[in-house]
Amino acid sequence: MSSLETIKNKLGISVSFVEQGGVHWLALDAAKVRELAKAMNEIHARFITITAYQLPKDEGFRLEYHWDLNGQLLGFSFTLAGKSIESIYDLCEAADWIEREIHEEYDLSFTGREYEPLLLRQGETPGVNLRDVVAVSQEKL
Amino acid sequence: MSYKIPMGPYHPALEEPYKLDMICEGETVLDAKLHIGFNFRGIEHLAETRNHIQAIALMERVCGICSFIHTLTFCRAMEGLTDQTPPPRAQYIRVIMAELERLHSHVLWAGIAAKLMGFKTMFMTCFEIREKIMDILAAISGNRVNYSMNRIGGVNRDITDPQSILKMVEKLEGEMAHTVIPIFTTSRTARSRCAGIGVLTKEHAISCAVVGPVARASGLPQDLRKDAPYAAYPEMEFDVPVVPDGDVRARLLVRALEIMESCKILRQALSKLPPGEFHTGDDKFNFITGTSTARVEAPRGEVMYSVSWKEGSRNPARVHVRTPTFAVMPAIRWMVKGARLADTPLIQASIDPCYSCTDR
Repeated sequence: MSSLETIKNKLGISVSFVEQGGVHWLALDAAKVRELAKAMNEIHARFITITAYQLPKDEGFRLEYHWDLNGQLLGFSFTLAGKSIESIYDLCEAADWIEREIHEEYDLSFTGREYEPLLLRQGETPGVNLRDVVAVSQEKL
Repeated sequence: MSYKIPMGPYHPALEEPYKLDMICEGETVLDAKLHIGFNFRGIEHLAETRNHIQAIALMERVCGICSFIHTLTFCRAMEGLTDQTPPPRAQYIRVIMAELERLHSHVLWAGIAAKLMGFKTMFMTCFEIREKIMDILAAISGNRVNYSMNRIGGVNRDITDPQSILKMVEKLEGEMAHTVIPIFTTSRTARSRCAGIGVLTKEHAISCAVVGPVARASGLPQDLRKDAPYAAYPEMEFDVPVVPDGDVRARLLVRALEIMESCKILRQALSKLPPGEFHTGDDKFNFITGTSTARVEAPRGEVMYSVSWKEGSRNPARVHVRTPTFAVMPAIRWMVKGARLADTPLIQASIDPCYSCTDR
C-alpha cells in the first residue's frame, strides 16, 4: 500500500490526493487536524510549516499544513469559517512557533494550548491581525 | 537557588539580535526560553505590494548570507505559476551559485565558531578563505552579497569562462583541505571545546523537525538535493555527510565534510556546463491562479516558499517563507539544557542561526 493510501486509511476518508506542482494535496475538514497530526506522527513524516491565507471579504481563513515524507511534499488544506482551529502543538512540537506566529499576525486562535510570551511583538496585545492594523494606519495617512 | 540570565538581544556572542532567557542553578543551565522578532520587517506582507520583478529583489533581502537561495526558491515557485522550465545551462549555473553560497556560508560559520572557541588565528584564516569565495561569486555575478542572478525561467548572467572559475575553485579546495578541514576535524582545541556539549538527541531532532546540517549532525540523513532533487542536482554525484553524535563537534564535522562535497559538486558542474541559453527569454508571463510551492536545500537546511497568485493581478496574493533557522532555532532549548553557562554562546552559534531569515 502506498504511503498516501495509508494516510487516507488512517484518516478514514475516501477522497484522493491531488498532485499539483510536486505537492500531494488533500482538502480536509478543520475537525480532522489533530487526527492528521497523529497520522503524520505514525508514518514518521516531518512537519514543515503552516501557511495562513486570509480570504477576501469575510470568507474567513485557509490554512495549509505541510509535511515531508521521504522527500515527498504533502499539503493539507483547511478552510476555517471562524477564527480558531485546534492546536497540534502537543502532538507536534515543531508546530509551536508557526502557530504562535499565525496567532500574532492573523489573530487566529489555536485552541487547547497556552501561548508563551509573544514572538514578534513582545509586551503588546497578543493576537492582532497585522493586515488590519496596516490598513487602518494607511487610512489615517 | 535558581536565577535567570538573559543573553541578548544585543550580546557580543550574537551576530544579530535575539534573546535567550536561561534559568540557571550555579553554572548549569536548567531551562531556556527564546524570543525572536527583533528583525521583523514584514517582508511577506511587503511582497504583496510588489510586482514579479520587484518581489525577486525583495526576497533577495530576506537574508544577507543565502540571498541566492531565497531568489532561487522564489523563482522556482514562480516558474510553477508561469509554466516555465529553465534551460539546462541555467540549471547548472544555479547549482554552481548555490554551492558557492554554501561554501561561503559554511566558512563564515567556521570562522565565527573558531572565534567563540577562542581560536582567533582560525577565525582570520576562515575569513581570508571566505574573501576568495566571494571573489568568485563577484566574478560570476558582479556582486558580493545580493547577486541578482535569478529570474523567472533561468538566470540573469552566464558563466562565460567556466575553466577559469574551475581553477579558482580547485585552488580554494586545496587551501581548505590543508587548513580548515584538518584543524576542525583533528585539532585538540576544537575537540575539547566542542565534543559532548550542546547535544541534540536524534529523538529531539525528530520531534523538533530540525533540518540541514543540524539534523544531519544528529544522525538524520535528510538533504533535499538527494531526497527531492531540483535544478541540475540529479546529474551530480556527491555524498550527504551524517554524524550521529548530535553535539557541537558533530555539527562542525558535518559542515567541514559538506565543504568538500560542495567542491566536488562545483568541479562536476563547471566541467560539464552544457551549452545553450541561460534563460527562456520570456519577460511577460501569464500567471495562473493558484498556489505554487518550492523547496531548496540552503546552507542551513530546507527553505520553502509558498506563492499564491490571482490571474490578472500584478502582485502576488500571498508569499510565505519558511526558513531553516525558524525550524532549527527552537531546538536550542534542548541543546542548552544541562550545559555549562560558559558553553551557551558556542552552542547557540553551532546551529549557524540566521535571525534575519527567521524574523523576515
